[in-house]
Amino acid sequence: MSKSFQRDAFIEEIRAAAEKDSDIYFISADFGAPALDRFRDELPNQFIHSGISEQHMIDMAAGIALEGKKVYVYAMAPFISLRCLEQIKCSIALMNQPVTVLVVGVGLGYADAGPTHYTTEDIACLRTMIGAEIFSPCDDESTREIARLTYTEPSFRMIRMERHPLRTIYTGGFSSENLQSGFVELVEGTSVCLLSYGNSLHRTLEAQKELEKGGIKAGVVDVFRTAPVSHGLLAVMEKYDSVVTVEEQCLAGGFGSIILELLADNRVLKPVYRIGLEERYYFMNGGRKYLLDRFGLSVEAICEAVKQASLTQQDSLPH
Amino acid sequence: MDYKKLEDKAKWLRKTLFEMFVSTEQGHPGSVFSQVDILTALFYGNVIRYTPGNPGDPNRDKIIISKGHATMGLYPIFCDLEYFPEAELDQFGTPEGMLRIFGNISIPGIDATSGSLGHGPGIAAGFALIAKKEQRDQRAFVVLSEGEQYEGSVWESALFAAHHELDNLIVILDRNRKIILGDTEDLLPLDPVEKKWEAFGWKTVTVDGHSFESLMGGFSEIGKEPGKPLLIMANTVKGKGVSFMEHQPEWHYWQGVDEGQLTQARKELAL
Repeated sequence: MSKSFQRDAFIEEIRAAAEKDSDIYFISADFGAPALDRFRDELPNQFIHSGISEQHMIDMAAGIALEGKKVYVYAMAPFISLRCLEQIKCSIALMNQPVTVLVVGVGLGYADAGPTHYTTEDIACLRTMIGAEIFSPCDDESTREIARLTYTEPSFRMIRMERHPLRTIYTGGFSSENLQSGFVELVEGTSVCLLSYGNSLHRTLEAQKELEKGGIKAGVVDVFRTAPVSHGLLAVMEKYDSVVTVEEQCLAGGFGSIILELLADNRVLKPVYRIGLEERYYFMNGGRKYLLDRFGLSVEAICEAVKQASLTQQDSLPH
Repeated sequence: MDYKKLEDKAKWLRKTLFEMFVSTEQGHPGSVFSQVDILTALFYGNVIRYTPGNPGDPNRDKIIISKGHATMGLYPIFCDLEYFPEAELDQFGTPEGMLRIFGNISIPGIDATSGSLGHGPGIAAGFALIAKKEQRDQRAFVVLSEGEQYEGSVWESALFAAHHELDNLIVILDRNRKIILGDTEDLLPLDPVEKKWEAFGWKTVTVDGHSFESLMGGFSEIGKEPGKPLLIMANTVKGKGVSFMEHQPEWHYWQGVDEGQLTQARKELAL
């Protein structure tokens, strides 16, 4: 089974582009990757080490972008999202500069470190940055295509990536046409539709297979553009009786909320079940898989939610 | 150098700004007036390079009023440089006008949107770094308030600028010794300010921020020490030019004036 690091896929794509485009600058707050080693080695004039200074990194990135450059900023997820959120707002968002913010190690990716290193609220925070698109790709193929988008159509974006390598889901390649809608309907089902992204999409697909063994055919959608989501998702959700959102975040303001808002704002009544992490800070050992299994995101929990969604729907049917 | 010309320009600038405060009853006269002579020296003392009538000139020097609440100090100057018509000054702070207390990049000549403290040095470091990389002789000027030094991001940027030898980055510290609740040295001392910047690898020079001879002497240090960013510490008086505003922390924001104060201020600011 092929597994790849998203960050290497992304950076290698940017390095290749930067070879031909001297307006591309890559800034790291002391965060690395094998692909970045190559970038630093081959394009030293386009690489900047900001120091472990995320606030300065974002301000400086805005200054460089104001000079007409395409800028990438790169650091560990919690520190490039929440620590410098005010810089992201004031220097990138307010001036609407084409800076791509690479947020690496999302969710409980740094499970061995603890809650200082987790981002279980970053979607809720980052989605409030006006003008930003937030991408949460699930594998290397989709990551690569999103990377191309960032330099062919520079804009203010956040790309949420995993710390660990992920299995390639788009084994046949990821079409750039998917970028228009921001989602891919991976599995067509009946009755219940599962919406997810990133690492949690992998668990969602596992759950879908388990459910299928029991005769439940659930749909699965990869909502890789996590915010803002496409209105096209409404048409997908309309095909189902109920919706289950699955995310490696606490639920307040997260992806499930985004879907609820989309439905409510468009006057679509649809039962939605949100699955995410229990609202607490996790200090215990055991690793990511253990924590996800224990605190709300086990494959069994996803299956149970789908079963409940099916039952509720049947109960609510007129007799 | 014709200091009399600079003094006249500074008087004109203070008077114009005072009337903008009066007409809108909003703004930060304490901070705006303490930097008037700094801005006058920069723009009328042949320090900052610009093309009149062309704020979009990619080769002009950059300026960021990092203490964004004092950005309006630039508007009469920019109007004078024909960056926008005089009618805009008359519409300052009105729904019809584009000029407001805090600057943003939709205003011709404003190089960075500011307001939140401590962002200017980082953005300007980006300007200065790219100019260096592209071997362009372009400088980035930042007017930094004294209180901004409490923001950690300022020191992150200071460290970076020195390492990258950004001698085209010039920070002018408007040291009026006042923050909203009182005196900096009473509330949370910043001294020794010059030594702190020097420890971060900057060249420093201290000037009287209300003496054009002293200010021009400070600006003459630009480019004298290759490889080092320059901090010009300008000792200033908050509210300078209007006696009842001087040294008064409450005049950080417009307090309103009665007829007597209005007459007095206009008399003190008369050309």
